[in-house]
Amino acid sequence: MDRMMRGINRFIREFKAIVKHPYFGYVFFGMMFLILLLLRNQGWVTISVINTAVIVMIYTVISLGFSLLLGFGGLASLGTAGFVGFGSFLMGYLHGVLNYSLGVTLVLSLSVALAIGLIVGFISLRIEGMYLAIITLGLGEILRQFFISYDTFTGGFSGRSFREFTLFGINFVSGDGKYFNMVYIIVVIMFVLAMIATINIIKSPTGRALLAMKNSDSAAQSMGISLIKYRLLAFVLSTVFALLGGMLYIMHTKFSYAPQWNLSFSLEILAAVIVGGAQSIFGIAIGVFLIFGLKISVLNYIPFFQANPALIVIFNGALIILVVMFYPGGLIRLLQTLKYIVVKRFGLLKQKWRRYRYGEDD
Amino acid sequence: MAKMIDRQLLKLLIILDERITTKNHFFSQYHTYLLDTWSTKKQMRLDDLKAAHAKAVCRMAYRMHVHCDDLDQEIEQRKLTIEEKFKWKHKALTQTLRRKNAKYPKKSNEHQTWFQAQEAHLHSLKLKRMERVVPTFVNANDSSVASQESLGAIEAKENAILSVKEQKIEAHYARKIASLNLRTEKKRQRLMLWEKKIKDWIHTIYQRNPKDDYGLGEDIILHVENLTMRFGGLVAVDQLSFDVKQGEIFGLIGPNGAGKTTVFNCITKFYRPAGGKMIFRKSPVDVIELNDYPVHRIVRQGIIRTFQNVELVWELSVIDNLLVAAHSRFHTGFFGQLLHIPKLRHEEAVLRQKAMHILERLGLLAYMNAIPYGLPYGILKRIELARTLMVDPKLIILDEPAAGLNDQETRELAGIIRDIRDQNDVTIFLVEHDMGLVMDICDTVCAISFGKKIAIGSPKEIQANKTVRDAYLGEE
Amino acid sequence: MPGIDIAIRQILIVNAILFLLFFVIDIAFFRKKIKRPLYRGRLINALITIGILTMFVASIKVFTWPLLLQIFLLNTVDLCILILATTGVVLIFKTSVTTNFAQGMMATFGAFFATTVVIRLMAKYSGSQTLYLFIGLFSGVLVSFLLGLIIDVGIIRRGRHVSSVGKQMITMGLVMVLMGAIPVIFGSNPIALPAFSIDVEIFNIGEHILVIPVQNLYAIVITLVVLVILFAALRFTKWGLGVRATASSEMVASMMGVNTRAITAMSWAIAGGLGAIAAFFYASSGAQVQVASMVGVQVNAFMAAVLGSFSSFGGPIVGALLINIFSSIAPFYDGTWQVVIVYGIILLIVLAKPLGLFGKKTAKKV
Repeated sequence: MDRMMRGINRFIREFKAIVKHPYFGYVFFGMMFLILLLLRNQGWVTISVINTAVIVMIYTVISLGFSLLLGFGGLASLGTAGFVGFGSFLMGYLHGVLNYSLGVTLVLSLSVALAIGLIVGFISLRIEGMYLAIITLGLGEILRQFFISYDTFTGGFSGRSFREFTLFGINFVSGDGKYFNMVYIIVVIMFVLAMIATINIIKSPTGRALLAMKNSDSAAQSMGISLIKYRLLAFVLSTVFALLGGMLYIMHTKFSYAPQWNLSFSLEILAAVIVGGAQSIFGIAIGVFLIFGLKISVLNYIPFFQANPALIVIFNGALIILVVMFYPGGLIRLLQTLKYIVVKRFGLLKQKWRRYRYGEDD
Repeated sequence: MAKMIDRQLLKLLIILDERITTKNHFFSQYHTYLLDTWSTKKQMRLDDLKAAHAKAVCRMAYRMHVHCDDLDQEIEQRKLTIEEKFKWKHKALTQTLRRKNAKYPKKSNEHQTWFQAQEAHLHSLKLKRMERVVPTFVNANDSSVASQESLGAIEAKENAILSVKEQKIEAHYARKIASLNLRTEKKRQRLMLWEKKIKDWIHTIYQRNPKDDYGLGEDIILHVENLTMRFGGLVAVDQLSFDVKQGEIFGLIGPNGAGKTTVFNCITKFYRPAGGKMIFRKSPVDVIELNDYPVHRIVRQGIIRTFQNVELVWELSVIDNLLVAAHSRFHTGFFGQLLHIPKLRHEEAVLRQKAMHILERLGLLAYMNAIPYGLPYGILKRIELARTLMVDPKLIILDEPAAGLNDQETRELAGIIRDIRDQNDVTIFLVEHDMGLVMDICDTVCAISFGKKIAIGSPKEIQANKTVRDAYLGEE
Repeated sequence: MPGIDIAIRQILIVNAILFLLFFVIDIAFFRKKIKRPLYRGRLINALITIGILTMFVASIKVFTWPLLLQIFLLNTVDLCILILATTGVVLIFKTSVTTNFAQGMMATFGAFFATTVVIRLMAKYSGSQTLYLFIGLFSGVLVSFLLGLIIDVGIIRRGRHVSSVGKQMITMGLVMVLMGAIPVIFGSNPIALPAFSIDVEIFNIGEHILVIPVQNLYAIVITLVVLVILFAALRFTKWGLGVRATASSEMVASMMGVNTRAITAMSWAIAGGLGAIAAFFYASSGAQVQVASMVGVQVNAFMAAVLGSFSSFGGPIVGALLINIFSSIAPFYDGTWQVVIVYGIILLIVLAKPLGLFGKKTAKKV
């Protein structure tokens, strides 16, 4: 009996240690999404829910990179759409048309991301603040024009479609259940890895250096932080995340169309990061769900919005305005406040219950 | 051409040398850190063991009806907790009775009898529990066995067991430390080998084109000569020269707009001076020209500065701010950070401990995990001071450390600055408007006006100087 | 067109030589010289001017100047639209320190209203079309003016403590709200707005015949009048002084007794009005009024503001002029890569001068 109790205690202690590990939340999140897939295959969950899940995961990967840039580096960029589009077309062209293997495609894409990140990073050394945001906006437009004009690479106005891919020697063809499942699993894995990589960067000297740079360039430099190195690093990281997101996107939707990578997509990513909370990983996931997922998963099924589809856009816009106005730190601040209130209230409730159960203390 | 290649090579080698020095430094620090933590851990284990042993002896004694205070206390404690538990249960019972009475007032007699029955039941339960307390300590079957031996014999036996266990622990840690020493020694030797190689290479290059030691005196740490800085047409610093001696507190004073902060910014390379030499003694044998280094490498040479208006990272806690300052002490690469390899964790642990020591020394331990935003100004200034100590600097540059502080805080600050100078073996170079502080702590004071030096000397000489007075009060 | 490759080659060669020249001089000389920043800045200015001038000279050589002038004249209406939009963007940037992404939507709202008014009037009464167009223009401007006022008073003023990126997000939310609201109010079909006149004016310079649409003349006159009034207001009225004070520091201005709230509200309202004129001309020069019709203009306006620097009002107008000229010549060189060429040139110029052509550097205190 005693030994058993000791065993249980030890188990609880170890379980607590696991739960408190920083990665636990992310892995748990990923597990939940995998369970969602199982439920879907059993037919218990509608397709719209699962689509929302994939979209949220892919865009969270992109937004995480962007948050490293904006929330930590303090560098605003509006060229995200171009980078994401680049990723999707690289995947579609290199793997889909030229039939390079996935590994080669990945390596090539990463080197492209490195190159783009370095270019934009060097630009950011000269230009700062709003000017940088608008110049990157121009870069995004240049990339979009490039996609539209260079149709051997992107398919031009007919778009680039992506039908099948090969992984570990197995061929997955779209329209097959296996294709969908495999893409879903890849997306989940990338999602969890991206979150873990982000938390690792944030909690390391690099993350602190980025924050120091955001607060004050001069103080950062006086403490031995090289501006060139960390600006370039921030841009390279964000481009790598964006390109990966683009690659996942084309695998999921099987199609990428040049004009869709426009300013409004960049702005939506920016909105997701700001609305969720630029420095919190879960906050960003919430923001992404609010901006991209709410419409396809919830609002489309409410009769009122079904009758007036224009109101969905208005609702989304009003939501962004309200959140930014009243919670400048993002929705995650709201959640933290709620948590605090709940904990406080719970303590009060406990006292009340005691008073009820045992009578007034005398 | 060969000269240029040599120069580039030298730069590379010096960077490598710096890295190896920091690595070496880290290993020794990590070594002491591990020894520290292990010794505390060992002590804890030994203490635990001893306590357990004492308890065991006590139990034995109790079985032989020898009185033992500790055990008595424990039994009393347990009885008290049982008492407490039953008190709550009894209270709940009375509450139920009250509620029943309120609901069915006519049946109050019935309720009363029910209550009494329940109460009696509770009481009997409580007694049962109470009786069970002592036998858990004293097993009735055991007592006969124990009584055959004398108490002394039992103690001796237990002591023997204890000493064996202690020896085991000691041996375990000794083994651990020995292996650590071996590993560290190996690493250190490897590093030493590289260091020697690099030093040799540097030496050969210096032999080819001899190194300039700039004719710096032995006791001088910073030599500034003919420093000039212009902004457009305005000459902010004009042909300024002075020497800072090793281990002194050097004050730079002057009226507003005299170019004091500009001098600092030139020394720390925020501005590129328009002319002049700045020569710094990095170590007794190593003399460098600061103009050869970019801003972010200055801190690696052993110069760190604070700012006029506090420049902390407002989103990070105080201790993390100190870790930001220790940025140049981390040498895990980016991919190591991405994967959070053990090396990074070790570095963090070492530096965190160091930060804690520094915070403790400056009386900031209470603010360790606080966000600096909203803390009092005096505390913020002190955090900036603490930050400078993270990198073991040779020269600390303080830009108006007493600005915005009241008299009490200024006096404390003077004490802290002097304390840092005495204990950390550093030189302090400060700009200040508070004449009281400057005259109090500085060994040498240099007065400048419109970028030109007007006087240099001990505080007393400066106070007596007429030109300085004129500069401050306006000529009459 | 013949000779284009020659022109491109000339432009490329001249610019490459300039770039190399600057690079060599910078490394060889200025890195060591004492007065480096001063000469360096002047050299960059001179080189940029020479670069832009060579582009023009090369273009004139290929196209001949009458043709170039003709292209410019045909594009004047775009120029007017761009200038108006840019001025609105800069006005809001000065007072609220944010880039207003809703500028285009506010303008489109006004244009929709104006178009609806014009169409209603024309259906009901038969009179002079020009009069109705002017009535429509006026009402559209008024509506956008009010919209700007409402947006500032209702939203931006309450989000004062929000960071500038946060304010950007608020304007983006506004874009979405207006995008949803416009079809609900004005119907979801794009509407066509009649032009002031479809005639063209023909005149001679020497022996060359040049053509300018009358519509463009209307646009030029109205834009000039509006700009003159605006600049006079900025220069001579209390509001203008307030705008300049708020631009340098909002807190200091409000402590000095400037009513920054009223000034910001006024700026938003005027920016809305300027945008409405731009959108009106955009719609009446052939394009239909659509929800997304001003997005391209808006992006160009941002680029113009960056090119000319946000710190002055004259600079962005020069920026708009340059962008207009680049983008009207570029299609003749290469149609598909127009955007790439124009934005690429802007990017290079801004890289050389990070604060825009007319920006002044403010020294940062450490």
